[in-house]
Amino acid sequence: MTFSQIITLVDTLARFHLKGEARQYLLGYLWWIMEPLLYVAVFYIVFEKLLQNRQPEFLYFLMVGKLTFIWFSKSINQAANSLEANKGLMAQLNLRKEIPALAVIQQGFYRQFVVFGFLLCFLVLNGYAVTAVWWWLIPLILIQALLTIGAGLLAALLVCVQLDFRLLIQLGTVFLLFMSGIFWDLNAIADEGVRHWLMVLNPLATLIDAYRQVLMLGAAPNVDSLGWVLAESLLLLFLALFAYHHLQYWIARKVVSR
Amino acid sequence: MTPLVRLEAVSMRFATESNPEHAVFGDINLSISAGERVALIGRNGSGKSTLLRVMARIFAPSAGAVHWAPGVSVSMLSLGLGFRPDLTGRDNAMLSCLLLGLTRKEAKASVEQIAAFCEIGTFFDEPVRTYSAGMRARLGFGSALMNRSQVILIDETLSVGDTFFRDKARAALQKELTEDRAVVLVTHAEAQIKSLCTSAVFLGEGAVISAGDPRAVLSEYAAHYSEATGS
Repeated sequence: MTFSQIITLVDTLARFHLKGEARQYLLGYLWWIMEPLLYVAVFYIVFEKLLQNRQPEFLYFLMVGKLTFIWFSKSINQAANSLEANKGLMAQLNLRKEIPALAVIQQGFYRQFVVFGFLLCFLVLNGYAVTAVWWWLIPLILIQALLTIGAGLLAALLVCVQLDFRLLIQLGTVFLLFMSGIFWDLNAIADEGVRHWLMVLNPLATLIDAYRQVLMLGAAPNVDSLGWVLAESLLLLFLALFAYHHLQYWIARKVVSR
Repeated sequence: MTPLVRLEAVSMRFATESNPEHAVFGDINLSISAGERVALIGRNGSGKSTLLRVMARIFAPSAGAVHWAPGVSVSMLSLGLGFRPDLTGRDNAMLSCLLLGLTRKEAKASVEQIAAFCEIGTFFDEPVRTYSAGMRARLGFGSALMNRSQVILIDETLSVGDTFFRDKARAALQKELTEDRAVVLVTHAEAQIKSLCTSAVFLGEGAVISAGDPRAVLSEYAAHYSEATGS
């Protein structure tokens, strides 16, 4: 299979899966927007109404954080199961083992495209000005895409090694939810050293903070921090591609014989 | 004639829960040339499917070597490859063609051929979950025929649909098996082996027990297990 055939296959698998999934539900494609918004609603009720959160403009703050986080967490959890879910295909076909995870991640890109469109419209309609700084969204989205691909491919591989990793990955994304400043502001951490290391060790925290800088404050994100995230994302991606390149046969045997 | 695929002292071991070095088969030597139609016979668990997967580059052998002729394509002929019940027959046919390595343009053209071949009318644009078993099998067979590989490996029954469609499917498969292609077929249907295959390989107890003329191998197979069961 040529590179272009792989891209066509990944994209077609993603689009067809989304189409099949939408057919199962009465509200079909509306769930692309409704599911993340329901998460936002739950967090909003708990933190703003019940716990009396004092974060200014909390709804927008939460929406930017949660809607970008869900893109990552959902893609990783679905990618983690992708090799097992395609066991039948692996038994019948010499398929590049990256394809199932990439197809799942591509589904997430399509969903997130709509979610981002909704988020930007919502912010503009609520008085946030569109400025030239919004161009920063393009590199931010690209870096998050690289991070998602690298982490998603590795998650699928780990679950292939041992099914227990599926539970650990689910738990890990919940841990990240609390450590990425979704419903609290990372800049509220008084100790600068702690804040620095939190952002270095958790690229999602830096990305979410950068989205807020751009969309809510109209300010360019910290380029040094983004550079780190880019380097970490590329490292994950390189590690994943290296591992898949050397483990194509091993993955097939492991998945098919399980 | 240069073989399309040649297996040289191929062995396969799997780790199972009770045995980390379970030997499926060992020291298999086999070569498949263009125009050959080889029947692979043996009891359940003898390693027939695993051997096909080694030939199809799905598994690497634990020991030995597999040599493929330069540029040769080898793949399993699978009914319903990657089918998803919520997608229409048309979408599933398209997906199956792309999985078989066709380009988007080739796949689009092939989808129309599949529609004409499987004769399911307007159901082709309905979700596959609404199909009867026979309609699903027709769609699966029609899609599988788009496999353009030079070496085709068949690991499942090809008796699909009603008598009329079975005859049509058999004729279509015969037409596809041109002299430049080869087939390895896992089957126990004696009539199919005698009418379709040019040779047979009997796999048992982790090794090739006999190989050659299909009728002689079938007799050997029957004798081997009647001796083993004492009947």
